Amino acid sequence: MIKKMTLSGVAAAALSLLPAIAMAESPTVQQIKERGTLLCSGHNGSYFGFVEVNDKNEWKGLDIDLCRALTTAILGDPDANQIVPLSWAQRFPALQSGDVDLIIKATGWTMGRDTELGLQFSLPYFFGGTQFMAHGELGITEAKDLDGGTICVEAGTTIERIAANYLSTIGVEHTMVSYESAAELRAAYVANRCDAFAGWGPNLAVLRATEIDNPDAHVILSDQLSSEPISAAMRQGDEEFVDVVNWMLAAMLIAEEEGITSANVEEMAANPPNPRVARLLGSEPGMGERLGLRDTWAREMIAAVGNFAEVYDRNLGAESPYNLDRGLNNLWSHGGVLYAPILD
Amino acid sequence: MTDKSVNTPISLASVRQILKKRAFSTPTDSVLTFVVFGALAWLAWSLFDWAILRAVWSAENVAQCGKETSAGACWAVIDARHRLILFGLYPFDQHWRSTLAAVAIVATVVLSCIPLMWTAKRIITLWILGFTTYYLLMEGSLLGLQQVTTDGWGGLSLTLFLFSSVVLLGMPIGLGLALMRRSEMPFVRGFAVILIDFVRSLPLLVTLFTAAVVIPIILPSWLEGDKIWRVIVAFALFFACYQAEVFRGGFQAIPKGQFEAGAALGLTYWQTLGRIVLPQVFRHALPSTINMVVITFKETALVIIIGFFDIMASAKAAFGTGEWAPHYLEVYVFVAFIYWAFIFSLGQYGEYLKGRMAISER
Repeated sequence: MIKKMTLSGVAAAALSLLPAIAMAESPTVQQIKERGTLLCSGHNGSYFGFVEVNDKNEWKGLDIDLCRALTTAILGDPDANQIVPLSWAQRFPALQSGDVDLIIKATGWTMGRDTELGLQFSLPYFFGGTQFMAHGELGITEAKDLDGGTICVEAGTTIERIAANYLSTIGVEHTMVSYESAAELRAAYVANRCDAFAGWGPNLAVLRATEIDNPDAHVILSDQLSSEPISAAMRQGDEEFVDVVNWMLAAMLIAEEEGITSANVEEMAANPPNPRVARLLGSEPGMGERLGLRDTWAREMIAAVGNFAEVYDRNLGAESPYNLDRGLNNLWSHGGVLYAPILD
Repeated sequence: MTDKSVNTPISLASVRQILKKRAFSTPTDSVLTFVVFGALAWLAWSLFDWAILRAVWSAENVAQCGKETSAGACWAVIDARHRLILFGLYPFDQHWRSTLAAVAIVATVVLSCIPLMWTAKRIITLWILGFTTYYLLMEGSLLGLQQVTTDGWGGLSLTLFLFSSVVLLGMPIGLGLALMRRSEMPFVRGFAVILIDFVRSLPLLVTLFTAAVVIPIILPSWLEGDKIWRVIVAFALFFACYQAEVFRGGFQAIPKGQFEAGAALGLTYWQTLGRIVLPQVFRHALPSTINMVVITFKETALVIIIGFFDIMASAKAAFGTGEWAPHYLEVYVFVAFIYWAFIFSLGQYGEYLKGRMAISER
């Protein structure tokens, strides 16, 4: 009898432990909740479209909006975050030392960062590749025509390596000139000191659209040297936090797929057109518990920040000065490569 | 031609005479003069034309930038973004606090430069008052205002604060290190020699990066302190080590006999130092000291690499959006003017001090 009781007691205890394991809350999320603020990465200056400062001295941009979305998902308030200004060199040490909870800073997912630096990455939320931009008057359309030319690059970036690698692969003789900052690089190019310059696709388009008076005077060459997945980076060892960030991104993509916007989210939550939407918006319970969040986190997040299309259009796309085509960064159903994991 | 001619009032005739003698004495000279002055005049005119005549001044007229006035400056960017440049990420509705804090710091520095304040008691009171005012205003919570943590500080107020705390903290440390380096106690001397040489062989960037980024990884969190204080201490130490060498140069210019004479008169070490040696050391070290101070003012811009929103960083943010990206030149000119105004004043103050000290040489 005693034995039996003990056994059943153990079984009960084990059973009661099970849901606890399933809901094991991420230590990072716990910390964020205790602190009441999410610490995101900013920039020491600005990075076109991704991290900028508006006329009211407030941060804005694609990366900032994703931070606001995550803040809403975890804390229920889009403004409960602190954007810590970081330089490029500083971002990984700052993450390791706990100055920020995660890095959302146009950061590419590389093997070195994933392994040696002890980071883990979320789903890619953006794809940007290295491309060349050349003066229109040269009349060239692809990198092969650059033979014997001078190529400018920003020093110490992956772009420098990728461009050198690519040009030697296709056998193009060239002189590489590196510049310390993007502004110097731009000035050198505009002053005709180089025939072409290599840069990150979105940056080139941004420059062509804003920097240079006559957009037709410059041509982005057709070669796509690389396509880098841009992800959020987190410290290794907190899988549950990665889950939260991944599903934050996934929810924004699913919302776009389902046509849920910041304008109609409440209506959709009240009358969900299908079970997937009902689950996503918390009209049907379960979504929150599995991540250690509230059931309505996605609804609040979309109400505050919008779906992925809204965020993109506001910061890089049609509603921004850059008017950057979505291209690869569209949903899979619209010819892009962005897709969400399955919401079951 | 001696000192006399400098003081005689210049008449038009004498100007003509001087010009004729110096600029137009031979045909080649005349041609050269015309070419050089022509080029200068053309430059000045282009600048004036760009900066004033064709410029667009108001943010409301931004649409005109780069349009019919193809070569004009677009000061609209300053009109729209000057608050970002001057205050960084400081909350928009609290900018008055940042302004007052900057005024407090400038006033502290200006007052410290006035000979009337040069007694230990006055200067220490002044510094404590100045920096407390700055901190209370910027941080705010102790005055019952909205709290702004140090990573919200930025722009010109931050640059001025970094500069003045580094110099005011570094100067006494530098003097202390210089004295330690001259000490007859081997341990004290050795410590100073090693510290000075070690810090001087590190680039400032590495020092700052270590203070801001590496120390939090090594130290337990209760020992860390705020990033801004770590950086100020590291920067001040860096400044102090260079300044110690500047002071050492000053000490070496003083004949040993003066110490011996002091001792012979029965003065203590500190009396000899304070009343005889140091005043001369300061005079000898003055030009290099002004140099150090000016360099430090410019070097504060390096803190951009550790994520501080100083005036350079906020200037970069100011033109770092699609709307304003084409007008980075105007932003740089604006910031350059601010730097120039401060550094020129520092230089002029150095000249004044030199003149003042020269009186005692006569």
